[in-house]
Amino acid sequence: MSEVEEILDRMRADLADLSDQRARGALEPELANRLFRSAHSLKGLAGMFGFEGMSGLAHRLEDILDGLRMGRLAPDAPALDLLEPSVVLVAGLLERAGSARAQEEAGTEIAALIERIEGALQAPDGAGPPGAGEIDEALLRALTEYEEHRLRDSLRQGRWIHLIEASFEILSFEEGLAELTRAAREVGEVISTLPAPGEVPEAQIRFSLLVATDRDSPALQHHLDHPTAVVRCVHRGAQASAASAQRAEGERSSQGRAAAQQPTPPSRPGQRDHLDHPASGAEGAARSEAKPSEVNRRVPAQQEHDPAAIDDDAAGEAPREIGPELDSLKSISETVRVDIRKLDELMNLVGELVVQRGAIGAIAAQLLADPASARLGRELVKVHKMLDRKLQELQAGVLEVRMVPLRQVFEKLSRVVRRLRRDSGKDARLEIRGGDTELDKLIVEELADPLMHIVRNAFDHALETPAERVAAGKAPEGTIRLEALQRGNHVVIQVADDGRGIDLEAVRARAVARGLIDADAVLTRKEVLDLIFAPGLSTASEVSETSGRGVGMDVVRENVTALGGLVYVDSSAGAGTTISLTLPITLAIIQALTVGVADQRFAIPLTSVLETLLVDPASIQRSEGREFLNLRGEPLALRRLHAEFGLPAPPPEARVAVVVIGLGDARAGLLVDRLEGQQDAVIKPIQGPVRTVAGIAGATELGDLGTVLVLDVASLVEDVARRREAA
Amino acid sequence: MTSGSSWTDLARSAARREVESSDEMRRELLVLWLDGDPYALPVERVREIVRMRAITSIPRVPAAVRGVISLRGEIVQVIDLRRRLGLRGEETGARRARIVVLNGDDGQLTGLLVDRVSEVLRVDEDSLRPPASRDAETVAALAAYGERFVSLFDVDRLLELDA
Repeated sequence: MSEVEEILDRMRADLADLSDQRARGALEPELANRLFRSAHSLKGLAGMFGFEGMSGLAHRLEDILDGLRMGRLAPDAPALDLLEPSVVLVAGLLERAGSARAQEEAGTEIAALIERIEGALQAPDGAGPPGAGEIDEALLRALTEYEEHRLRDSLRQGRWIHLIEASFEILSFEEGLAELTRAAREVGEVISTLPAPGEVPEAQIRFSLLVATDRDSPALQHHLDHPTAVVRCVHRGAQASAASAQRAEGERSSQGRAAAQQPTPPSRPGQRDHLDHPASGAEGAARSEAKPSEVNRRVPAQQEHDPAAIDDDAAGEAPREIGPELDSLKSISETVRVDIRKLDELMNLVGELVVQRGAIGAIAAQLLADPASARLGRELVKVHKMLDRKLQELQAGVLEVRMVPLRQVFEKLSRVVRRLRRDSGKDARLEIRGGDTELDKLIVEELADPLMHIVRNAFDHALETPAERVAAGKAPEGTIRLEALQRGNHVVIQVADDGRGIDLEAVRARAVARGLIDADAVLTRKEVLDLIFAPGLSTASEVSETSGRGVGMDVVRENVTALGGLVYVDSSAGAGTTISLTLPITLAIIQALTVGVADQRFAIPLTSVLETLLVDPASIQRSEGREFLNLRGEPLALRRLHAEFGLPAPPPEARVAVVVIGLGDARAGLLVDRLEGQQDAVIKPIQGPVRTVAGIAGATELGDLGTVLVLDVASLVEDVARRREAA
Repeated sequence: MTSGSSWTDLARSAARREVESSDEMRRELLVLWLDGDPYALPVERVREIVRMRAITSIPRVPAAVRGVISLRGEIVQVIDLRRRLGLRGEETGARRARIVVLNGDDGQLTGLLVDRVSEVLRVDEDSLRPPASRDAETVAALAAYGERFVSLFDVDRLLELDA
């Protein structure tokens, strides 16, 4: 059923766009087409799973959307207002799919909604008569409903309508027609392509293209510059042709703009009836008999690499009963659902290739070192470089496939807020920014729950009631701001509210009561705030009432840390609370800095390495026994990795290596024995009875270096930060 | 992670059920040696046996964890069974040393470093005897093995490392 959920998600997003576009009074034709396709898929799936009610409702949605895209329904038709409640109902039905009683209740709701939709559809709609008085009846009859709608639309916009007739060699007409169509599309919209009547010379075939444009016939003829094409004006446009004639002179410069101005061609024309009953389109059948060769035309046309040619093809060719079927197949095949584990396998393979590449590099170096084989070595180096570049592309490609925008999660959150608003009577606005920010699919999935938690908490506990807000001099409506932005190889997601803020005293008192801290403990503000993530504190409901933060923040931190991320909270009394999550863009493959400590080797994700330093041991200072460094005027806490990991200390040296790591706002310097090099690494979890190893995020295989442990930068940095706070 | 092993698990448990439902309750045990004494693991928990290979040590873990190995791309902890049982004698590491890789209940793999592996022993369930010492920690039972007994591990307790 996840496919149904996906369809519903898409429909919700599209419906939101639709309502925007309706408000603006400008409907994008593709939007209605897309919604129609979604409703159609929904109907099919619901039928497949035996959800009769759902399938029936989806069928009515199809009716509405078909009316919209065919122009039978005006953008302000009341029937369109029933789309959203229908989708909400279907989603609710899906959530309660297990309960028979809920299904029964929903059944009556569905029946009522279907009745309303049918009532709304019977009401006279807003679309006027064709208004194509000058257009030849025979021509009109040849058009499909959709084409007629596009024609009417063009007439309404006052565009010129031309009929281009041209002959082509029968053996090569595909290319010729595609080229002519492309040329026509540069200056307008090709509404329909029809076989032309009349005598044709032997081995020739004639077509006519019905074109809407803002140019007059001579200008169009000039633009097409085609030996056999004849442009005939069918309907004069509203705009003066002088301008377009002038523009015809500066053809090259205006082409790009003209093409950009055209409406996006619908990716699937044709009628719903044909989809449901592929063989029943009488008109289509008649046509395909008249032009049997056209059935085959699509195949070569689709093989062309020029996307414009494919668009032309979809924008209105003759074989009606084939067209919609083919196009609907096409729209399915545009996206592929892939098990994320398969991508992991691919990623592992890429990782292994990277290791092999390293081995080739080593062989090349050996060959180069020996004068007898230096020539071969140089060639191998070249090959190695090429391989390197291609591997990087492959890596980037696989990574990119894994990336999804955060929008999906954000949309879910906005639905949650809407529901909370309805249920609670509190007024709150959810502002969303940066929904296009992309993250690894796995991370996005794992983020849904923590984010849901944070947003719910903000709504339930942080935001005051309207009365309280007004008393505090705030707007009665609260705001929760959800924002994502990319910072280098990390993504920062912030959830900010303008609520009452966290009551530090209440949190502190609670922590003392729970035995988490001593009554006389001296804590910084940040440390007190940090307590909301402590297990055992935030589970108490009283705290959620008074502190403005609710349950399960410890789980939030746990989840985010497991993803290699960090959680921060900032709050000011009365003004609101901001929770920031810093996450790596991907978990799959990373660049790592390898360092040596005693006889061991560790890898540090390069995304977290800010810089490396060689420092004089004498410049290391101490405060309360803890070491730090003056780094350009800022103190930088140090950790000796050998001490952290119980390895023998190195002999004293004149200079020691420090790796400065950072995540979010936290910084720390790691003292290591050796800086070794940079490597690509696929981080793997460590399996076995010891579930978590403090300071270690996983391990990776680095060619001849063998298995190398990867440091957990988040935990190392955070420990330092905590100690500094405590100091 | 262990997609390849799921069907073997299934097959094994099915086979086990069949054996258990028959009149004779037979168990298959993998016999291994530590410091000159035989021990055994239930065969159905064993995923594979690999030769001793380079082990990368990990910090901040109980001493019994020798480190990790890479097993076809999976990173697996290796428990040194001599250390785990507190046996003396020189460190395991001879030519015949093997790493027995166990399937965890949750799909997690664990490697056990042993001196050597000798054979698979078939015993009747009712021939099993309780451990000789009442405060045995990791031994579930003793199984007749020629003139002597082999100590059958309780795998779950063997993998509980709190030290």
